[in-house]
Parts: sequence; structure tokens; C-alpha cells
Amino acid sequence: MTALLEVSNLHVEFDTYGGIVKALRGVDFCVDAGQTLAIVGESGSGKSVAMQSVTGLIPMPPGRITAGSAKLRGKEFLGQRRLDGKTICGDEIGMIFQDAMSSLNPTMRIGDQIAETLEVHRGYSRAKAFNRAIELLELVRIPEAARRARQYPFEFSGGMLQRVMIATAIACKPSLLIADEPTTALDVTIQAQILDLLQSLQKETGMAIVLITHDLSVVARMADRVAVMYAGQIVESGSVEDIFYRSAHPYTLGLKLAMPSHSGGEDHRLRPIPGSPPDMFSPPAGCAYCERCDRAMRVCQSDNPPIFSVDKGHLSRCWQQHPQHIAPSDGLYKGTPAQIVEVSV
Amino acid sequence: MWSYTLKRILQGIITVWFIATATFVAMHNVPGDPLSSDRAANETIRANLEARYGLDRPLFEQYLMYMGNMLRGDFGISFTQQNREVNDIIREHFPVSATLGVLAVVFAALGGILMGALTALYRNRLPDYIIMFLVILGISVPSFVFAALGQLSLVNLNAMMGFSVLPVAGWGTVSHMLLPALVLGLGTMAYLTRLMRSSMLEVISSDYVRTARAKGVPPARIFTRHQLRNAVMPVITVLGPAIAAITTGGFVVELVFAVPGLGRYFVQAVQQLDYTVIMGTTVFYGTFLVFMVILVDLVYGWIDPRVRLK
Repeated sequence: MTALLEVSNLHVEFDTYGGIVKALRGVDFCVDAGQTLAIVGESGSGKSVAMQSVTGLIPMPPGRITAGSAKLRGKEFLGQRRLDGKTICGDEIGMIFQDAMSSLNPTMRIGDQIAETLEVHRGYSRAKAFNRAIELLELVRIPEAARRARQYPFEFSGGMLQRVMIATAIACKPSLLIADEPTTALDVTIQAQILDLLQSLQKETGMAIVLITHDLSVVARMADRVAVMYAGQIVESGSVEDIFYRSAHPYTLGLKLAMPSHSGGEDHRLRPIPGSPPDMFSPPAGCAYCERCDRAMRVCQSDNPPIFSVDKGHLSRCWQQHPQHIAPSDGLYKGTPAQIVEVSV
Repeated sequence: MWSYTLKRILQGIITVWFIATATFVAMHNVPGDPLSSDRAANETIRANLEARYGLDRPLFEQYLMYMGNMLRGDFGISFTQQNREVNDIIREHFPVSATLGVLAVVFAALGGILMGALTALYRNRLPDYIIMFLVILGISVPSFVFAALGQLSLVNLNAMMGFSVLPVAGWGTVSHMLLPALVLGLGTMAYLTRLMRSSMLEVISSDYVRTARAKGVPPARIFTRHQLRNAVMPVITVLGPAIAAITTGGFVVELVFAVPGLGRYFVQAVQQLDYTVIMGTTVFYGTFLVFMVILVDLVYGWIDPRVRLK
């Protein structure tokens, strides 16, 4: 079975006054229909850029896709607006963003903003699209939808606006929803409501979700599969259990230890990862995580590790997973004898 | 909305009163008076004239008298143009200035919004460089230079074609208005272009335009539905004062093109210290300006729903 979305070897650069930023350096992932993939990583790791370059939303110039492919149901669409007579953005792929207040047009009625997708892709008349927009508002559980549809974004709260964004994104029943940090600007209770809503909509429509986040608790709650990004590369990917219980990359382990918890008692302290991510103007020759890694070896400094298969469907980009490496793994999962899947570039 | 409008109108009335008072005080503190020319040949004639116009009374009494007349809509009689009421001067010549001004503002607004949007969309490419160069010219070159250049090229054009394409000066038909209106609007057009460009650049990189692209809205529709309306706000804000400035500031252009507008009388009155005409035109222009600003605020509320409900 071909995956719904399959992205491989994606390279993206940005021209800036300081030089060329290598934002993505060979990113591969795939999403199956109806599945949720979470992409996690710190700010600047390239998780948003990855999804926005796939959908053609990064500004070009200064952005530039230098290599890679993106396939929807096995068909290449990178750099195209349409595929098989359907527009990719808005029709095949819906998108929601972090700050819903600034992501909605301040001078346009809520209903019109939702209806616009239907007018553009389905050729609905204004009135028909507006009525459908009211139904969509009801679907995302906004009370008094008919009255609310005539209001403007500044009359809504943050959580309500994120529901509006969701209604807009699912208006054309896309097969994939990209949620770029959908709950970052919201407080915890509203966050839970939005995540519940996304899950129930996914169950009803069978759409796949790519969830971009840096919140591991959101990942644990939502994801089927997880891809951990660091410095423009995916360093570990696997099922949600693989990532949380069988972490095979020191960076994933570091992220887990840096997570706040309420079970540690008074002595429990957060353990931040020391140092900062590498300069993306000139990424290091070796592993990008090398300087912050307490397991770093000489080879890490000189050669970027290839991707090793730890278990079935569980990949890690770390020399520790090399079949001949036999040092004690102290907390790092080492599965069945690992194999090199792909030699890095 | 109504209480907001009422509040703005009250504020406007206070502003006009302040303008009138300040002008009155400043005017009477300038050395000399309207009678110092050859009209007041000797002391007796002078005293008679002063009594006739009420200039022999204490200043404060004159002020009250003047304000009282003004409230009744009577601006008095001109000192230098005998038996001509200020109201008549305004009534006859303001429509000319206003027509010219409105046409100039239409040119300026349409040109400014279009060119501003264009430069933003073509940022750092050839159309942007060309237009921004012209904008610098438009802002720095005074209007009488454009007026003279415009007339010169029109004369040459008419001579070359062998018939009159457009009249070079004068007033009466639409063809008379085109060139002076364009010249009058050029400075404002250049200013609005810059304003529109920067506000458009902000809108282009905004989150909601990204959302519109994520929805798959075609670029032309993004431009009309999402970018233009949001980017035009700052332009609307300055449009009110710009209308007033163009309408009142057109006297140089009016002079060059021999347009019988109000601006000429305004300048003349200041030179001759024609008290009633100065006061009349100032208060009239002041009221006009205030009214325009209020009007623009109301239009602003209509375009931006956030202003409407506050």
C-alpha cells in the first residue's frame, strides 16, 4: 500500500543577508491515510519549513527547494499547484496555524472566510457557501453558529478562532490536515478541547493529520507515529511507543529528560540539554547534535551518521546504533542488531 | 455609532472655534491694518472708515461681534473689494477649487494605491525601482515646476498635433481641469504611493495572507479580497487631511493655470490684511478640514469593523 503522503530527501535553503541558511538537509517521512504523524523538535529545527515547503507556502525567493520529492498517493506534486484536477492547498491538504488571531483576515466576516474555500474549490455560490460555513461552525461546536458567522475575528476568543481555522481547513474534506502548533497559543483546558475536536473529526472523516509541535504531552496524546527533528534532519522516527519507551537517539532521550513532570517529588529537577543548536549557515560535517551529546565519539565529529533501522519502522540517525558499536547503551534503546538503511549525504 | 459621530462633531466645533480665535488674535497682532493703504488718505477719512467697520471699538468687543455674526453665517464685507460679501466670494470661487481639488484627490488616491500595491508586489524588481524613483521626484519637486513643465509639454503637443489636444490654461470644461488636477495631485500621489507600499509589504507577509494561500485562494483573489482592503487603511487615514490640503493648497497651481479658485483670494487677503476675508476663508477652510477628517473616520469604521464597535 502506498502512503498518503510520502516526502523524501527534501532539501530547502533560504538566501539571507548573512548567507545561505540550510534549513532542511534531507528530510524523509511518510503518513498513511487516517494516521497521525507528529513532527517534534525545537524552534528552528525545520519542522514548519518542512510542511510549508511541501505545500509551497514558503516564500520563494528567498526560499528554494534544492532537492527532494513529495508524493500524494504515489504521485509527485512538489512545486505544483494542482494534482489530478484538484488544488493541493485547501482541497487535498488543509492547514491550520499557531496564532489563529493573526492567521484570520481581520476585515472579513468569519463565515466568509470559511466559505471562501468552498467558493474557490467547489464553485459554490456565495449564499450556498455561507450556509455551508454555518454548518461547519456547528460541526466544530461553536454555539449560535448563524449569528457567529456574521461576526469578525476580533469578536472571538483564541480557542474559538482555532475552531474557525479548523472549520476552514476541513471545509473541502481534505485527505490530510497539517496542524502547525495548533495549541501553542492556548491555555491547557482549551488545548485539550481543540485536540479532542481534532481527534473526533479525524475519526469521522478519516483524514490523516501531520501535527507539528514541541509539546511532548500533545504528541503522546495524539500521535500514531513520531518524527523527531533536529537541525534540519529527522534524527529519529518510529511509533509513539518507540519514541517514548525505546528512544534510540540521544537527542530524543534529552528531550524526554527535559520534560517537566509532577511525579518526581521535591528533588526532581529539569535536566535541560546544554548548549545550543548548530549554526545553520554552515552545518557541521559530522553529527549536528555532536557538541551537545554526552555520548559523542570521534566518528560523530567527522561523519554525519547514516540512518539505522533499530526495529521494524523505528529509525535512528546515530552512530550509537551501528551494529559494531558495543559500548554500554545506558538508557539508549538498542533493538535487534541495527542495519544501515540510508547513507547520509 | 451615533454617539461616536455626535462626539466627533462636537470636537470638530471646538476645533473650529479655536482656529477662528487664534486667527483673530494673530491677525490683529500683525502690524498695520486693512485701511493703511491709500484709502485712508487723512485722519478724518480714516476715523470715519474705522467707525464704519467697527475698528475703533475695543478688540474684545470686536471679537464678540465677529463671533456673533459668524454664528449667524455672516462673514461680513470685504475691506478691499468694496461691497463684496465674503460669503459671495466663497460661494463663487470655492466650487472651482473644490472641483479641482476633488479631481486631484481622485488622481492621487487611485494612482497612489495602484502604484503602491504594484511596487510592493514587485519589490526590489524593475517596476519597483522605476516607480520609487518617480515618487522621490514627485515629493521633492514643487508643484509650480510641474505646472510649468506640464504647460510647456502641452503647448508642444498641441503645436505638433496641429490642433488643441488640451487647453493650456483657463477654466470651464472638463478638458481644462485634467492637467491642473494632475499637477495638483502629484505630490500627494507620491506620498500615498510610499504609504501604500509599506503598508502593502506588511500585509503581504502577514499570517492571514499565508492562511489564504494555504486555503488555495488564487493570487488575484488574495490581492482583491485579503491584501487591498487591509493595506488601504493607512491611506484612508491620511486621505481626509489630504483632500483639505489639496483643496486649500492649490493656489499656486490655480495661479499658473489661471483657474478662478478661492486660493488666490485667500493669499491676496493675507497680503492686504483684509480682516473679514482672512477670517471668512480661514474659518471656512478650517470647518472643511475638520469635516473631512470626521468623514474619513466614519468611512474608516465602515471598512474596519474593529473601529465601528468601539
